[in-house]
Amino acid sequence: MNKNAKQVLSFPYIIWMVGFTVIPLLMVFYYGLTDRSGTFTFANVMAIMAEDHMKALLLSLAYSVVSTIICLLIAYPLAMILRTRNIGTGSFVVFIFILPMWMNFLLRTMAWQTLLEKNGVINSILSFLHLPTLSIINTPAAIILGMVYNYLPFMILPIYNVLAKIDNNVINAARDLGADSFQVFSKIMLPLSVPGIISGITMVFVPALTTFVISNLLGGGKILLIGNVIEQEFTKGSNWNLGAGLSIVLMIFILISMTLIAKYDSDGEGTAF
Amino acid sequence: MSQPLIDLVNISKSFDGELILDDLNLSVKENSFVTLLGPSGCGKSTTLRIIGGFTMPDQGKVIFNGEDITRMPPNKRQLNTVFQKYALFTHMTIAENIAFGLKIKGKSKDYINDKIKYALKLVNLDGYENRSVELLSGGQQQRIAIARAIVNEPKLLLLDEPLGALDLKLRQDMQYELIRLKNELGITFVYVTHDQEEALTMSDTIVVMNQGYIQQMGTPEQIYNEPENAFVADFIGESNIVPGIMLHDELVEIFGAKFACVDKGFGNNTPVDVVIRPEDIDLVEPEKGTLEGVVTHLIFKGVHYEMEVTTPDGFEWLVHSTDMFPVGKKVGIHVDPFDIQIMNKPASEDEEAVGVNE
Amino acid sequence: MNKLKRFFQDFYLVLVLIFLYAPIAVMMVLSFNSSKSRSQWGGFTTQWYREMFESPVIMEALYNTLIIAFLSALIATILGTAAAIGISSMKKLPRTIFMGINNIPMLNSDIVTGISLMLMFVAFGVSLGFKTILFAHITFNVPYVMTSVLPKLKQTSKYTYEAAMDLGAGPIEAFFKVVFPDILPGVLSGFLMAFTMSLDDFIITHFTKGAGINTLSTLIYSEVRRGIKPSMYALSTVIFVTVLALLLITNFAPSKAQMEAKAAAAAASGKKPNNWGPKLYKAVLVATSFLIVCGISYTTYRHFDNSNSDELYVYNWGEYIDESVIEQFEEETGIKVTYDMFETNEEMYPIIEAGAVQYDVVCPSDYMIQKMRENDLLMELNLENIPNLEYIDQTYLEKSQSFDPQNKYSVPYTWGTVGIIYNTKRLEELGIEPPTKWSDLWDPRYKGEILMQDSVRDAFMVALKMQGHSLNSTDMTELEDAKNLLLDQKPLVQAYVVDQVRDKMLNGEAAVGVIYSGELLYLQEEAELLELDYELKYVIPEEGSNVWIDAWVIPYNAQNKENAEKWIDFLCRPEIALKNFEYITYATPNIGAFEMLDEETQNNKSVFPDDELLESCEVYQYLGTEADDMYSALWKEIKAQ
Repeated sequence: MNKNAKQVLSFPYIIWMVGFTVIPLLMVFYYGLTDRSGTFTFANVMAIMAEDHMKALLLSLAYSVVSTIICLLIAYPLAMILRTRNIGTGSFVVFIFILPMWMNFLLRTMAWQTLLEKNGVINSILSFLHLPTLSIINTPAAIILGMVYNYLPFMILPIYNVLAKIDNNVINAARDLGADSFQVFSKIMLPLSVPGIISGITMVFVPALTTFVISNLLGGGKILLIGNVIEQEFTKGSNWNLGAGLSIVLMIFILISMTLIAKYDSDGEGTAF
Repeated sequence: MSQPLIDLVNISKSFDGELILDDLNLSVKENSFVTLLGPSGCGKSTTLRIIGGFTMPDQGKVIFNGEDITRMPPNKRQLNTVFQKYALFTHMTIAENIAFGLKIKGKSKDYINDKIKYALKLVNLDGYENRSVELLSGGQQQRIAIARAIVNEPKLLLLDEPLGALDLKLRQDMQYELIRLKNELGITFVYVTHDQEEALTMSDTIVVMNQGYIQQMGTPEQIYNEPENAFVADFIGESNIVPGIMLHDELVEIFGAKFACVDKGFGNNTPVDVVIRPEDIDLVEPEKGTLEGVVTHLIFKGVHYEMEVTTPDGFEWLVHSTDMFPVGKKVGIHVDPFDIQIMNKPASEDEEAVGVNE
Repeated sequence: MNKLKRFFQDFYLVLVLIFLYAPIAVMMVLSFNSSKSRSQWGGFTTQWYREMFESPVIMEALYNTLIIAFLSALIATILGTAAAIGISSMKKLPRTIFMGINNIPMLNSDIVTGISLMLMFVAFGVSLGFKTILFAHITFNVPYVMTSVLPKLKQTSKYTYEAAMDLGAGPIEAFFKVVFPDILPGVLSGFLMAFTMSLDDFIITHFTKGAGINTLSTLIYSEVRRGIKPSMYALSTVIFVTVLALLLITNFAPSKAQMEAKAAAAAASGKKPNNWGPKLYKAVLVATSFLIVCGISYTTYRHFDNSNSDELYVYNWGEYIDESVIEQFEEETGIKVTYDMFETNEEMYPIIEAGAVQYDVVCPSDYMIQKMRENDLLMELNLENIPNLEYIDQTYLEKSQSFDPQNKYSVPYTWGTVGIIYNTKRLEELGIEPPTKWSDLWDPRYKGEILMQDSVRDAFMVALKMQGHSLNSTDMTELEDAKNLLLDQKPLVQAYVVDQVRDKMLNGEAAVGVIYSGELLYLQEEAELLELDYELKYVIPEEGSNVWIDAWVIPYNAQNKENAEKWIDFLCRPEIALKNFEYITYATPNIGAFEMLDEETQNNKSVFPDDELLESCEVYQYLGTEADDMYSALWKEIKAQ
């Protein structure tokens, strides 16, 4: 096949992308920038400045930043350990971390309720051991836990993938040149794993920022995140224009993460799968 | 020069129950160029990694400059390594790669910059400071890896098949370059390769290894001309290894013909292995030779002709000669006494592996 | 030192694995729990596994989930692989643009992707349903396929392709014989990834699904509010264990030769292979095709079972009918029922309004019926087709007149009150007298022990009634006061939930909760079954409360009006109403059914309160868009605080 013939192969998907990615996004902009009667307005986008929305957005940002950091802190050492282990063959790692996805996302999250409740599994174990019980259900801590739980695999896999690609001799070379364990980590491992970290961060941060399910299920309905606001505008408040307007605001954050990815991970090295 | 720079004492190492090195002893003198030579899996790389500190021996000691460094981590050792596939840091520029070790030692900026310039000049890559590693060719990457190691002024430089990934012409150039560098810098080199030609070209001392044992250690001439066992003879250069009987001192019988030689002390009527290099066989008129045969194969190799001469017992002798004998011609085989190398027959395979290491 | 380090590493690995798998273990245990409660162990049973296979709703959802996952993964794999090959020969700029757009669905948040697709489907008049979910899933699956195919394609030497052509293969033959086997691992892992993603997706499906179609995710979500049926846990356990077993068998018991080859390869390259082993693909493909075949054959059987052209689209609350009633209706009438569920009136309304989904019969609450009526979203009923209407108690028809003045549009289905449920033992522990009025819920001693309703009207009802106002108030100052009251109360509230009040009270999570009276019978039964050491009691607060009626209506765009009337008539049949009452335990307005009840239940004042108790209770009314917006703005303020 010559080049042009090959390019033809991508046409069906290009048409698909236009129909199902580009046009829908334009629809969001159309709804977001008009009011119910169809006249142009910035009101829906500017509605983010309203106190309730701003507060929800800031809360979402705070929770997603915290859960992203926690994910990173858990995932990085884990990826390092997996790298040094023989069991750390790619298929096994992917297998272990993808497998939970075959259990439904909502059920997995619901199960945390059962675990965390006042009379839940964890507290039963704790009180059996005569330890003080936890009361984090329906608190921000439970939401963050739910985010970390659900999105952790998306942090582990890209970091593991870049770390596994680092030649052992590169590390040996650094030690040979006098670097101690910490210097090997800070000067070699860390910089080389940046693409994976960036990709992991965006893959955790974006869904955490926009979730409404986790906050619903684990937050006891007391905590309103920006995802909840948008979801309610569509399913309950029936103000689609406002919902679309707020979605545009969310997309700004997504745009930022796409730019980050493009900058640090131009080769697609840090992809998760 | 009384004490060796590096001394490996009774080193043993096994991986997953498989013995890689068995009670190995090796001394390297200061300012020498020692090559560890052997087929893959012979333990040469493991030996190098033990010196470098990347692998801990199960038993034995590593003495460096009189100091026991067996348990010392690699970053504390005063030696550097050039790795097989260069192991350059892809997230750094060339200058940053070279400066890595110096920065860790906390050298001043000026010192580091001077060193970078000096090192790049040394490896003929002046002006490459700010290039990205990934844009270099294999040979250039190799030079950078060497530059990165030598700026630290190590007493000992370990090179793990550094030329393995280069093509022939480049490899030859780099061989000369390495010899030049060694002479200019006065550093001791321990070099690992499976390429016997490379070993013969560059080294002061060659250590031939097989199955975790040292088979023979000596100058390139000794290794080539006086292989101590069939393995060495076979591994180094091409050779005809034939069974013979040492009738008495200085006379050996091969395929029923008697050859004069210079070896003594094998006893009388002892079965031995006889090594004769193909270039040491002179083809003469049939009646003038010690053995008679027919040329069965002929190839022109440029410098010489390569021929196969089959003797009545069926053995095919490999012969290199500048004179051409056409296929089918009857010839005589003649060998000068000093070109015949006599070796004891190994009693068992184990003994063959142990070689001279006892 | 090294051993210690290794120990800590192992310890850490195990900790993370426990974290990842603990919820899954919990669900597996729950699937064998004979109590419906999520947190009480009632003994071992396999009943839920049986129920799962017998439930047409679950099997249908499973079938949909698998067929959508399979089709979307397959189409996405074909599209994505072709596109990956195509763009590998593109110039840099178009390629960058292409990849940028391609990455949007992967990087964009699910909620925005879901919303954008929904907006487009609605705008172009595509009715939401199976195909819209499929399109949506394909859209977010292709990027995953691309990311796993592209790297493989990069590794493939173009010379092998040229060599194949040189040896006489045509371009297409060369591709399929040489290039394709090379990139096959990437294609397969892309397919698998896409399949898994599709299987696990909820949010995008939530926005793009239509009538009569549920995937497992959306079915579970509709059950979340009222408590998930344990048969869901059973189903998930079956899926999970099947996949796990197949993976383990094929991945960890390779033949000796393979092990050696693998070890040699690993030793030679010093690198870890970074793809799923071919065995793994096979295993998963086998697993999925097995599941799909099971699903397909089961649902095909079901389809043939009721093969007919007569249809009825029902839109009802979750868990608001005895499923066998649907089957009985189908058998008797030969009408194929497509049954769909909603969780709140507010969620149902825009779906009916947009008309993207054409339901024939819906069961909203009082005020929502008024709103729908006022907005011309309802059709008048032909009462001649509903002779069983005579069994509906006149009292409730009269009460219905507050939202349906001439009883022309609606037939009451259930009714009840809103009150306070309390845990007697917990109150004793706290040293508090049982509550009798709403204002008791402001007692600071209840800190962290109160469950409030997570819906605007119910929450404001509590505050308005407590102040002696009408629960249909539109007076701004009254509402402001109510808002401030609710804000004062918020620190005391453990959670704002809807139907989870039931499970949480049963589990002793809270001392008091605001609850619909209909939950009571179920709760008391279950408490008895579990032999709980505390009692759950219900009270209608002195200040008065909400009395609500859920009634069947026919939306303006119904396609099968007569069938809908047949449905309503069927549900008004006393023995059917009784069956439903026993299942959902919400008070029935059906006299025939009421008379068949035992005396104890008839006299249960919590379920069937006296008229005097009802006197202070009001029915919700639709307050108009402006008041609606005001309520929801105030509510948002409370929630956001």
